[in-house]
Parts: sequence; structure tokens; C-alpha cells
Amino acid sequence: MITERPAAVPTGADAPPRASVTFVPADAAGVARIVIDRPDDAVNAIDPKMIEDLAAAIAEARAARPRALVVESAKPDQFVGGADLDLVTTANAADLERASRAVQQVFSDLAALPCTVVAAIGGSALGGGFELALACDRRIAADSPSVRVGLPEVSIGLVPAAGGTQRLPRLVGLPRALDLLLAGRRLTARRALRSGLVDEVVHPAVLSRAAAEDALRHGKAAPTGGATPAERAATWLAPARAFALSKARDRVNAETKGHYDAPLRCLDAVATGLAHGMAAGLDAEARAFAALAPTETTQHLIRLLRLTLRQRKAAFDGLGTPRPVERVTVIGLGFMGSGIAQAAAAASALVRGRERDAAAVAKGLSTVRSLTTEAAKKGVFDRREAARIIGRVTGGPDLAGSAHADVVIEAVFEDLATKRRVVAELEDVIRPDAVIASNTSALPIAEIAAGARHPERIVGMHFFSPVHKMPLVEVIRPAAADPEAVATVVALASAMGKTPIVVGDGPGFYTTRVISAMIADAFALVIEGVAVDAIDRAMTDFGWPVGPLKLADEVGLEVGAHAAETVAKARGLAVPGIIATLVAEGFKGKKRGGGFYLYDGKRQTVNPRVYELTGVAPHARETGVAGRLTTTFVREAQRCLEEGILRSEEEGDLGAILGLGFPPFLGGPFTYAEERGIR
Amino acid sequence: MPRAAILGGARTPFVRAGTLFAELDVLDLARAAAAEALARTETDPRDVDEVVFGNVARPVAYHNLAREVVLALSMPSRIPAFTVGLACASACVAITSAADHIANGTADVVVAGGSESLTNVPLTLSPRFARALIGASQAKSLPAKARSLAEVRAADIAPVAPGIRETSTGLTMGESAERMAAINGIARSEQDEWALRSHQKAAAGWDDGRIAREVGPVYVDGHAVTTDTHIRRDSTLEKLATLPPVFDREHGTITAGNASPLTDGAAAVVLASEAKARELGREVLATIRAYSYAAVDPADQLLIAPAYAIPVALRRAGLSLADIDVFEMHEAFAAQVLSTLKVLEQNGVGAIPLEKLNVMGGSIALGHPFGATGARVILTLANEMKRRGARYGLASVCAAGGNGAAIVLERTA
Repeated sequence: MITERPAAVPTGADAPPRASVTFVPADAAGVARIVIDRPDDAVNAIDPKMIEDLAAAIAEARAARPRALVVESAKPDQFVGGADLDLVTTANAADLERASRAVQQVFSDLAALPCTVVAAIGGSALGGGFELALACDRRIAADSPSVRVGLPEVSIGLVPAAGGTQRLPRLVGLPRALDLLLAGRRLTARRALRSGLVDEVVHPAVLSRAAAEDALRHGKAAPTGGATPAERAATWLAPARAFALSKARDRVNAETKGHYDAPLRCLDAVATGLAHGMAAGLDAEARAFAALAPTETTQHLIRLLRLTLRQRKAAFDGLGTPRPVERVTVIGLGFMGSGIAQAAAAASALVRGRERDAAAVAKGLSTVRSLTTEAAKKGVFDRREAARIIGRVTGGPDLAGSAHADVVIEAVFEDLATKRRVVAELEDVIRPDAVIASNTSALPIAEIAAGARHPERIVGMHFFSPVHKMPLVEVIRPAAADPEAVATVVALASAMGKTPIVVGDGPGFYTTRVISAMIADAFALVIEGVAVDAIDRAMTDFGWPVGPLKLADEVGLEVGAHAAETVAKARGLAVPGIIATLVAEGFKGKKRGGGFYLYDGKRQTVNPRVYELTGVAPHARETGVAGRLTTTFVREAQRCLEEGILRSEEEGDLGAILGLGFPPFLGGPFTYAEERGIR
Repeated sequence: MPRAAILGGARTPFVRAGTLFAELDVLDLARAAAAEALARTETDPRDVDEVVFGNVARPVAYHNLAREVVLALSMPSRIPAFTVGLACASACVAITSAADHIANGTADVVVAGGSESLTNVPLTLSPRFARALIGASQAKSLPAKARSLAEVRAADIAPVAPGIRETSTGLTMGESAERMAAINGIARSEQDEWALRSHQKAAAGWDDGRIAREVGPVYVDGHAVTTDTHIRRDSTLEKLATLPPVFDREHGTITAGNASPLTDGAAAVVLASEAKARELGREVLATIRAYSYAAVDPADQLLIAPAYAIPVALRRAGLSLADIDVFEMHEAFAAQVLSTLKVLEQNGVGAIPLEKLNVMGGSIALGHPFGATGARVILTLANEMKRRGARYGLASVCAAGGNGAAIVLERTA
């Protein structure tokens, strides 16, 4: 992204802007340094000025001929970020290609320096920042939780544009590189060490010195292309490489169903470079980057990332100041409750779980433990943090230990009387200003709060299943709620690593309402004669993660029927009788006798009873099915905005994508509607 | 001087060593008891100034169990903690140390208790084998390592189980207790009667919920353990009479039935200054009015020291035995309890009315995790004092090495 800069005209009062990159001449041991410190940006994001200053520093390094060179950041807890996304979204394809080649050239110049170059990674090094580190001969990382390395560009519809597709496979071998690139993995320091992305992990206080000593001890060596003979064969030997690439392509196609180009172009750039040399690979990389960036899919994905980051602050609009949350009680340690308890403990809260008896507590605590150890195995926390998280969660068959809870999250059976009982019991024990948050998916919060002594502290905090995987929390704000109480759970959701949206206390709130409307329309299609599996296949081909009828089975037909009734009642619609009949006949869902499908181990077949009930011979014509159902979803979302259930189109798009799997490449229901003129 | 108040506490179920808690270690049990004690007294971990735990069998990794409890429960890491040992009275020392710190103003809120897991008793190597292994690890060359190990004989390899023998006398506690029984003329039948009493009262205590209230569940691998497992509801004098003596096969009186069993478990109480209790709005269960530790020559009557600690504690409290409303006495052996009662009378301290003693059974039926029993008797005593509206209570625990503890509690509410 090197654009023409107007010559700076000093006007006396103006000092020239400080360089983002400085060359520090060699010390007594002969180690010179390139220090990166963008004066105007906390994350050292890569912009044209930084690249210019880096090129100048590299030129100085070439002239100075030090024994060794360390590349480091002056910002604690931050190495170098990726490309400034503003520039990616505003430049045109030709400028982007030019920019990519320019950065590639500067990084190649760094790699070509005669001395050993070591990157000292003391914080986040993702995307372009890690490509800079890859252009160095070696990488040392600090043993700090702020360190994350990786190339996640594919997850926002781009490819690495500064040599990452070329240098990563040569460093760790093709199979590992494909996994890291296609999944967009962000690794902790220790994981990075195990995967070969960094050479050593040291205490943060000695990072700079360790990098210097490492640079003096090691010469430049050609990258191996893998740690084992098998990995090296897959990298360098054409037939093995072709096989690995072909398998990867098949996997990508199966997962993306042709909706995402970026992973395939990334694969192509990798393949080209390994087959025809680095120059050809860099060329393919730059062209892929320039071709992808202006596409709708990529623009949508970048917008989604931006909205998610902005939502951290935007969620608090119109709300009060959040109260501090240090102690959380979770009522109900079932599937959802134990996931919520674990996430709260990971957010450093002291968590007290409550279940009906000791045996149920034991199961819930056991789930918390296994969720945490599995996350630790995946590198989300290290072993010590995992032990701390597990240590923060205790439980009991009564409310002992909950008197000082700041927030109580109830995740009990989805029944109004049960939830009201829980509230009544809690109000005898907790502080009047402690927030009670219900994880209900459709019961109106105002009704749960009816009869409470302090209804103003009762809100909704709707998590999605499974809690540890789903990033959305739908915070429900009843009219009578104290804005500080709402702000408190918004802050808690963020601390738990989730993205919160704030919606009104209408039937089905936002997410349950829109998905119920879509599923109800899917039921209508079945009654009109479209085959059950044809509907679901049309939807998954379209980009939805799971078809609506399969989803209805997974949610459970009784729960689904109840949600559909709540929504239908509010809109004056009727619920198709087919559901009640299926339920009455014992078809209650995936784990309860089957529903629209019958389940036998891993196999599923359409339940023939469905067609008997519709009385129509099903056809498999899928044309228009996905468009119609998605439009139903979108129109319902628009109604939610009109009625004030949703505050903004942005929250509507975020909620649908992060909570319901609305195809991200389409940008969300409101973006979809705007681009197609749906009203 | 400010008095230390007991706000409440909890214990884990007590189970036979190596059974239901076989997969847990002493830290798992200690943290379960501590977590329950904190929850039941609604104590905010951030208000805790100190944690003290008693423990006898020390796995090397947990040489300071109390500090491990602080860290394992993610309590604020600024809380200092230390671990104490006085054999079976270890938890008494934990509690009286906490009381002392509260009294002299160096702490306002302390969690004190004890834990034992005989499942994890560390086995040691024979000295010869240990030397050979260390020599081999330090040797620089393979031949040198081999030479080091070549000196080991087959007999050296067997691990050494820790004995519960008195170092100074070479006698096990059971053997010492037989001598007590003989010296004080405690017949086999009296011991069996005491054992039966312990089981019957413990069963009643569980059945009417009194004991259940002080026991918190322990969660093992997705299951909950909620009750003491050693109590024998089907015990009879006839059955007890059939058991063979364990420590003196020829002339002994002590059997597995009239002795306390090897047990895993933990117990903890939360103590605070009375002023702090008021500030936090907490009910005071009982305060520690006075205590005493005494010791005797182990070669004499190893487990008789409480008989000498009790009168000193009473004198310090300004009370006589007749003033005490409820008594809790650790039952290491029925012979030891009965001997202690006899010696107290003989020495003119007084006669303890049996209807006030161990009213919900004792260690013989409930179990005896060495490091935890001191906290168990104090917790049970305080809870029973509240139930009865009693003013004064006395707890005593005998210990290996010839030690004994006596603690006087007071309720003014």
C-alpha cells in the first residue's frame, strides 16, 4: 500500500513525524536492531509509512554490515499487527496488488541480508506482523499470554500478501502450513514452539537479550520444509505434494461449498510457489490478494470483523455504567449451565454453581473440568491457567455461598413456573442490586420477573449452544430494567469472550424469533410438498450450517413448537398442526425418538410419517427454496428493527451470523436485504 | 484480648482409606472442606487473612498443604498460609494458632482445619537403594552408573511403608493402647460397649440430620460422595466380641471393631475476631475461651495426655468440669477413652457425665483422618452447643508422641 506521499513542508511549528521504524547500530557484541514503534497506533498495524521506514532501516542495516540483527517492537505486549484494514477496504485492486508486491519486496530484502536476523516476538504477531517474522531467519517468542502468532487472513476472505504463503510451508512443511493457513490458527507461544513457528520461548524480561544471543549463535540456514521425512516429502516431492494439496482442496470444497474463494487461492499460491519457485509464488500471492479484497464476500467478512471489534464499546450505547462482577452464581449445571459456569470462571469470576442435588452438582463440575482441560489441550489456556479456572468453580445443592453474588445466571428448565420459583428463592438470599440474568431462549423476561421484589435487576442473557464455541450473547433488556444492570451483564458477556447484542423483551426476542419464523416457513414448504431433505440440502448448499428441519430436530420439536407458538401468537399467525401431531406420536427430536428425520447411529433418513401427515407426495425441486426461506428470515429481522426489538442493523447482522449461522459471506440479513432490495 | 469466634465450618464425608477417595489426594480433600466452609459461612475469600492446615502424612509435593489450598481455590495469592503437625491433634494446633493470631491482632479472619489422605502416604526407599539411585543419577558415565546400581541387593528394593511406631519406644499406637487398657483395667467387654455406643449414636446423628448439616459433598469424577461410610448400623456386642485382637494376639483386648479406622477426609472452620464477625454481620457459633496442650512420657501411657491437658484448660477458663455442658473426645481406641475418663476421676478433675460425651458418636464410628479429626471434634462440638443452647463445651484429642490437646468453647448467644 505504498501511495505517493506529498513532500513534507516543515512550517516551523510542525516537527517531522517520528519514524515508525528505527535502525539501531550494532552494540559492542556486534548486534544491530530494527525497532518498530508506530507513534500513532497501539498495535503497530502495517501501513505505507511503516513499510517505507522499514525499507530505510533495512538499507541502513545492509550498509552497516552488523554481525547479527534483531527485529523487535518497542511496544510491550505487541509485536506487529496485520495490514491496516481501512486501507484494504478503500484501495482498488491495482493499488492493492502494487502494495502487496512492495511489501513482499521489502520483506525479501530483509531475508536477503547477509547476517542472521532474529525476530523478538513479545506480543501479538498476526497476519502481516507474522509475515515479517517469517522473513527473519529465526523467531524467539516471550512466554506471555499476549503472544499470538499465525496467518488468519483466510478467515476474513483474504490471503497473506507479504510472502506468508511462501515462507510458512518452507519453514514448517506443507501439511502443517496448510492447516495453519486454512484454519487461520492463532497460536500461543508454546504451541508455536511445538509447531515450529518459533525457535525458542523465553521469559519476557530476557526476550531482547535472548534474541541477540540467538542471532550470534546461529548462521543463516535454508528452511527444511518440515520436521519429519514425511512432511519434507509432502513439501518438496511433487507427487506427495500433489496428493496433500488435492486432499486439502477436497476438504475446503466440502466445507465451503464454493462460497469462499480465499482458501482455494491461498492453496494455489502455496502450490505455485513450491512447484515453480518463490518468485512465481509471490506473484500468485499478490494477484490473489488483489483479486479477493474487492469481492463482496471479503468486504462482508472484513466488515464483520470490524463490527465485532467495535461492538465491544458499541454494546454499551444508551446503557448505564456496569457494576463490577467478581462473583457469579449459576443456577443449573446442565449442558448450558456448566458451559456458562466454565466461561465465567475463565473470565476470572469466582463461580458458585447450584443444582438440585449433590449428584447433579458432581456432573456439572465434572463437565466444567473436562471443558477446561480440553481447551487447555487445544492451547486456549496453559496448564496453570486451566488449574486456576477449575479452582474458581465450586458448587452445592443449595444457595450457600451465593449471598454475595454480583450476578446470578439461571439456566434451569425452560418453564415459567420453575424460573419464577428460582427468582423467589434467590431474592431471599442475594443483594437487592445483584443482577439476575435468565438464559431463557423465548420466555418473556417481564413474565419471569413478575412478582419479584426487585424486578429492575432481572434481565436476559441468552447464550447459544454449545457455550464454549458460540460467540454470541443476546442480552435482553426489559422495559423495567435498570440500565446499570443491563450494562453489567453486557460487560460480563464481553469478559467471557463473547460478543453481546442488546435486544428488547419481545416474543422470541431477536434470534429465537427470526429462526422460528424461518423454520415455520420451512414447515410450510414441507406441507406444500417439498421433500424434507431437499429443503435442508438447499439451505446448506446456500451457506447455512444446518438445514431448518434438521435444526428443528436438534433443538427438539417440543421446545421448537413452544418457541414457534410464542412468536406466532405475537404476530397473529397459526402454527402448523403437523408439529403437535409428530410430538404426540412420540417424535420429539433428534435424541427423543426422531422428528423430521429418523436417527440410527450416524445415519439419518427422512421420517416417512411426515409425508403421511402432509398427505402430499414430496418432490425434490429445490429451486427458490433457499432464497424464500432466507428472505423470510430477513423480513422478520427487519420487523424486529422496526418494532425496536433490535437497536441497529449492525446488531441484527452480528446476531444472525454469530448466533444463528446466517452465512457470513452474505454479510448478515440487513446487508443481504439492502443488496437485493428486500423490504 | 479479643477472642476468636468460630463462624462455622464443614467437613468432607469420612471414608475408609483407599476406598471412595482413592483417586483424590490430601489437597483435593482439604480444598473441598475449605470451599464448603467458606460457602456455608458466606465468607468472601478476599476477606481471609490466613489459612492454617494440619496434616500428618506429608506427600513431598504438598509440604505446605495450607498454601496449596489457597492457590488451588484461586483465593487471593496474597494470603499467607502454613501447615502444622501434632499427629492426631494437628487440626487442634491449626485452630488454636489461628485463634492466637486473632487474639493478638495479626489476623482478623482465618480458615483453619486439617486433612488426611492415607491413600497417598509416601513410600520411601530403603537407604541403600536410595543412595544407589542418587549415585547413579549423578554419575557421569554409563559404566559409573552401572557400578552404582550393582551394589543393590534384592532385599534393598522393597519400599518401606511408614510405620506408626513411636520412635522412642518402638511400640505402635495399638500396642501402647493395650498397655493403657491393662494399667487402667479396661475390660474387652467395656471397650466393645463403647464401640457399639459410638456406632449407634453416629447412626442416629445421621438419621436425624444433625451430622448431615456439617458434612459437605465431595465431587469425585462426576459423582458425589455425601455420607460417612464407616458407620455400622448392624453392629452388635455379639459381633464385636467375635473380632480377634489385633495388637496382642495372645492377651489383647483391642480389635478392629473398638479402634478407630484408617480414614481419608478433611474438615475446616472459619474463625474471625468478634469485632470482624459483627462487621461482616455473621452469626458467632462459639468462641474459643481457653486451651491447653500437655505431654507425657510415651513409654508411660502414650495416649493419656488429654487427662492432663483438660484440667489446665479448665483452670485457664476459670471453670470446673461440672460447668461443661457438652464434651467431644477423640476416640483413638475405646480403651483410650475409657482410660482417660478413669484417670480424670482418679486425679480429682471430675467425672464426665456420659450423656454429655460424644453425643453423636466418635472417631470409632465416624472415622479418624489423622490431620482432620481436631477440626471435626471442634466443629461438631460448636454445632451441638448451639443445638442445646449450651454455654460451655470441651473438646480433647490425644496424639502420638504422648501429646494431648484440650479446648474450651463458649457460647454467649
